[in-house]
This record gives sequence, structure tokens and C-alpha cells, in this order.
Amino acid sequence: MQSNLIHRAAGAAVLLLTTTLSAQADVTVEFWHSFGKKQGEALNSIIEKFEAANPGIKIDAEHVGNYEEIVTQLQAAIPAGRAPDAVIMEVTRYGLFAERGILTDLTAYMDADPLKENLYPFAQEIGLYKGKNYIVPFNSSTPVTYVNRDLFARAGYAELPPLTTFAEVSKAAQTIQSKLGDEGVFGIAAPGQFTRWGLVMGNGSELIDRSTNEVLLDSQKTIDAYQWMSSLVHEQKVASADGVTDEDAGSDAFLAGKVGIIFNSTGNFGGNFKALGDKLGVLPMPCNNGCAVPIGGAGIGILDAADQEVKDAAYKFVSFAANPESNAAWFAATGYMPINRLAGEQPAAIEAMANQPGIDVAIKQLDVAFGRARPPVVTWMRSSEYDLWQAMALGQREVPAVMTDFAARTRAEATRLSN
Amino acid sequence: MSRKLTPYLLVAPLIVFIACFTYIPIFTSLDLSFREWDFLSAGRPWVGLDNYRQLLVSHDFWNALRVTTLFVVISVPIRLVLALAAANFLLRETRSSRVLRAALFLPYVTSTVSIAVVFSWIFATDYGMANAVLQGLGLPKIGWLQDPTLALLVIVIVNTWKQLGYDVIIYIAGLQAVPPELYDAAAVDGGGRWHVFRRVTVPLVMPTTYFLLVISVIEAFQIFTIVDVMTRGGPAGATNMLVSELYKIGFSLFDIGQGSALAVLLFLLLVVLALVKSRLIGRKVHYEA
Repeated sequence: MQSNLIHRAAGAAVLLLTTTLSAQADVTVEFWHSFGKKQGEALNSIIEKFEAANPGIKIDAEHVGNYEEIVTQLQAAIPAGRAPDAVIMEVTRYGLFAERGILTDLTAYMDADPLKENLYPFAQEIGLYKGKNYIVPFNSSTPVTYVNRDLFARAGYAELPPLTTFAEVSKAAQTIQSKLGDEGVFGIAAPGQFTRWGLVMGNGSELIDRSTNEVLLDSQKTIDAYQWMSSLVHEQKVASADGVTDEDAGSDAFLAGKVGIIFNSTGNFGGNFKALGDKLGVLPMPCNNGCAVPIGGAGIGILDAADQEVKDAAYKFVSFAANPESNAAWFAATGYMPINRLAGEQPAAIEAMANQPGIDVAIKQLDVAFGRARPPVVTWMRSSEYDLWQAMALGQREVPAVMTDFAARTRAEATRLSN
Repeated sequence: MSRKLTPYLLVAPLIVFIACFTYIPIFTSLDLSFREWDFLSAGRPWVGLDNYRQLLVSHDFWNALRVTTLFVVISVPIRLVLALAAANFLLRETRSSRVLRAALFLPYVTSTVSIAVVFSWIFATDYGMANAVLQGLGLPKIGWLQDPTLALLVIVIVNTWKQLGYDVIIYIAGLQAVPPELYDAAAVDGGGRWHVFRRVTVPLVMPTTYFLLVISVIEAFQIFTIVDVMTRGGPAGATNMLVSELYKIGFSLFDIGQGSALAVLLFLLLVVLALVKSRLIGRKVHYEA
């Protein structure tokens, strides 16, 4: 009887100890991201696999909004002490957070991780700010040119014409518009902000110099690129003005088969392919004045305020999300570029390359893809650019005057932020 | 002792609530308006009146003040006139008027974001319903949200549609309080319907009008959601209201000091306006028939 009691007491003690230890081992990583719909499903699948492989870690993922909304929400959450442990940060917007000590320096983690050797050079570079790693790339992209082959054929093109120079793009857009405009079809969609930056680079310029951080908004080639982009709307009238005041409108119209050409991130490939199937064509971005495209997308950063244990768990997840299997699955589901050299050898990636023509265009552009400057003023510049683009594209203000003024204000803001 | 304490204890929860959610934020905002802060830095250096100075030389601030004033001047009278007319029409207690009252009130309790999204679809230039109707009538398309003047007008229309139901209900309550014998007396005196409306109804619902005027001016100066969803202040700043500018400065441009300075200026502006209204109109309002 007594021995039975002792056994029971010992059993209860062991159970209590085990429960306590198991509870201590459980770590929850709160993770904010920007992926909805098909991309969100692909991310959730990666998270499920990670949690299955790491039973002690739970990833509490939350779709917070787009890149800009994440920055805004993060900004409000930090002083309130409600910031997440890990967050998706767009590649040009994390500099300010790194500068202010909000993000953890991940250099030591990266140096100790075999992943580092497997990352493409571009993927290594975009995570660096002042020589230190602050984000680990997750969804990398370049802009590409998407076309609706069916609209081109109905406009009289037996095969896709070259769309290398701005003049060629304008001509194709005008042809589509003139032949199919009565059906509510537009030749091209007004470019969104990411692709505006890409078209400036395709015209041999930059918004901010990649190596010196010099503001180039008022350089002649930048002005020329903006002049051409805005002319698509208010002079050539081959792009709907709806896409100027609501950037999603152009993308939605392309998905609905109402637009011939759209410049957009390769991350939109999955959605475009699902909507248009074989009608979808993917071409490199125009090379109007030399070839160059920006590397976009985002990486995952870890907040410095998180506990060490949570940081370790978060990095484990970040590393898992960038491993060859996860990266291949992510590439196949979304069209975002592989960042891991070994991802291309994975069955998921091989199958995607074989069955989804055009998914590899962004990868082929990598020779001319560059990470963009990311000093703290970039966040301000990108927020301010929308209004000015609207004024130019709708023909309300002259492009040279707007860009000259914008450059001056950006320089002043850069000076203010550096103080 | 306990009898003396009881009233204080009873109001304490409300005082704590108001202090936490009204006065502490107001004073924090006032304090921040004299500091430079981006939400991220540990330090919040005192910069005196710099934020106010920068704001007062900013083109965007003056544009936002101009646009907001224009919006208030256009939208408030339209709201009040339409609401009084609708309330007068729906005053009788019939089944159809009850249905119409409910229909008018529905937008007020509907999510503002949903309303703004639907209206931005309706007013889209190339794919919107409004232009589809115009084209069906053989008329050209209009850039509702791309033309600076029309975009502001669209915001006025949407805001009026959203708020009208509330104004109508308040006016109906005001109209029901008017003694019927006054109408009888006016009828005996041979007054026509318009004459009775102008000489009897309008003066007697002045307290309601004054209340709605105060409320709608404050609301109009604080409009944000409809603008943010439909135009984000565009095209090119044409619908950029003061609160949109405040949000942009604070949350997109990372300058919470200057954003707070704008909030303080908006607060002062509303206080001054309330005083002016009280002086000019308040004295003419009679609360007894």
C-alpha cells in the first residue's frame, strides 16, 4: 500500500516535471507578414512544415497588410510595446529600422548558418545594411513585363513584337488600344511604384545612387523615364487613369483580360498564370538605355526587443523558410525568385519550370538585377512619390518641375534624418 | 464620511476612463508637438516651436487646410438642407415613411470602409458604373476621381450619403417637438406651405439645426476614412484633408512631432470655430416655441 503510494507520488512528480519542462520549451514567435491569397497559403504551408519539424516552436503568423502598412503598424506598435518578434520588411524600407536599432543584427546568426553559402550573391547583398545583416531574404523579385498573348493576337500580331525600348512598348500599346479599345481594352497598365523604379533603371538612371546614396530624382534620364511613363496616361492615352489613383486597378484589369501589357513583380506570376493560363506571356523589362532592373521583395527581420530565446527560435524559422525545399515550394507557388542556389534542384522547382512557362524570366534577368539604395530617407521618398506621380500622370503638373522640386525636398529630408 | 465619498466613487470609473482615453492623449500630443520623434528613436529632443514653424511654411499643410475648409463649406449646408427637406417629407407616421427612414439611416450604420470601396468602384473612370450609365446615354466618360474638382465633389456626395440618415432622424425628432397648434394658427392666417415652412418650421427647429451644424462641422473637419480609401488624398493633393495630412506626416513620413503639432492646430481651429458659431448663431437660437 505504502509502496503503491510512493510510486504514485513519484509518477505525479515526474509528470509535473515533464509538463513544466515541455511548457518551458514552447516558444511562440509572433510574425507579421504581407502575404494574402495564394501567397498566404504557400507561406502557411511552410509554417506548418516548420512547426512539424520543430515541435517546441509555434509561429503565430499574422497578415498585417502590404509593405507600407507593415511599416506604419510597426511604427505604432514599437512604442506601445506590442511589436511582433519577427517581421517581413521590404528591401528598401528596413534601413531606418536598422539605423534606429529596432532590428537585430543577424550577422552572427548568418555567419554560423550553412545557409549563407547557399544564398545567391544578390540575396546576400539585399540583407546588408552598412555591412551587417539585418534581414534574411525570403521573397525576392524583379519586375518583368507581362503580356496578354490573346489580346496581341486579336490586335493583329502573329507573334509577340519586341518590347525592348519605350518606343516599342508605346507602339504595341497603341496598336492594341486602337484595335480593341472599343471593347474596353487598354494597351498597357499605368506602372506601379516598384516598376516605375524599374523603368527608371531601364533608362540608365536611378532614384538614389546605389553606391553613394546621392539623390538622382532630378537627373535627366530619371526625368525622361517619368515623362514617358506619365505620357502613357495623359498624352498617349493607352493606360487607364484608374491605375494611377489606385495601383491595384491596373493589375485587376490585367487579370480580367482587359489590358495588353503590364509591368509587375515576378511575385505576381502565380496569380497572373492562374487567371490567364496559356494566354500569359512573360518578357524581360525594357532596356531603353541599357539594361538594369531593381531587386525587390522583402526579407524577414527579427526585433531586437524580443527575448533571446525567441530570437533564436525566430532565426531557426527564418533559416528554414530560406532552405532549398521551402524556397522551391515558395518559388513554384508564387513566382518569387529562388534565393537559394539549391532550390532549383528541388522537384517542386523543376516541375514549375517545366509546366509554368515564363516563371524563369526573372531568374534570367538576374545578370542585370541590382539591389537598391536603402538609406533612411527611402521610406519618406517612397511615401511622398505617390502624390507627385499622380500629378504628373494625370497631366496636372510638368514632369521636370515636379522632379526637380522632389529631389530638393528629398535631399533636405535626408539631411534632417541624418542629424 | 462614506456618504461624502460615495459620489466620488461613483464617478471615479468614468473620470479614469476619460482621463486615460481623452486627456492623457491630448496632453501627450501637446507635449509631442514640441519634440522631434520618429516613433523609433529612444530620445525625444525638445525643439520648441520648430514643428509649428515648419508646418506653417509647408505648402501641403495650407493645401490641406484649404481643401478641408472647402469640403466643410460645401458639404455641411448640403447635408443640413437635404436632411431638413427629407425629415419634413418623412414626418408623417406612415408605413412607407418608416421604411424610407430606415433606408436612409442604413448607410450611417454601415461600415465606412465598405461604403468607400463600393463608391470607388462606382466612380472608377474606365470600369465604373457611373461612367457606364453616362456612356449608355451617349455621353463621354468623366474622370470622377482623377479630376481635382470632381474628386472633392465625389467625397462630398459619399459623405453626405453616409451621414444623411443621422441628420434626418435628429431633424424628425426636432420637427415632432413643434406644437401642431402653431401650424393650425399659420393655416388660419392663410399662410402657404412654403411660407409656413420658412416662418414656423425653420425658426422652431433652430436648436436642432444648431446642434447638427456643430456636430457636422466637427465631423467634416475630421473626415479621414472615406478619403483614405477612395483617393488617399489625391489626385495630387486635391482631396488631402487635414487629418489625411496629419496621418501622412505622422505615420508615412515618420514625423510624429509635426503630426502632433497639426493635431493641436486642428483642435484649436475647432475650438475657435465653436466659439464663433456660438457667438454668431447660438444667440439667435430659441429653445422654446
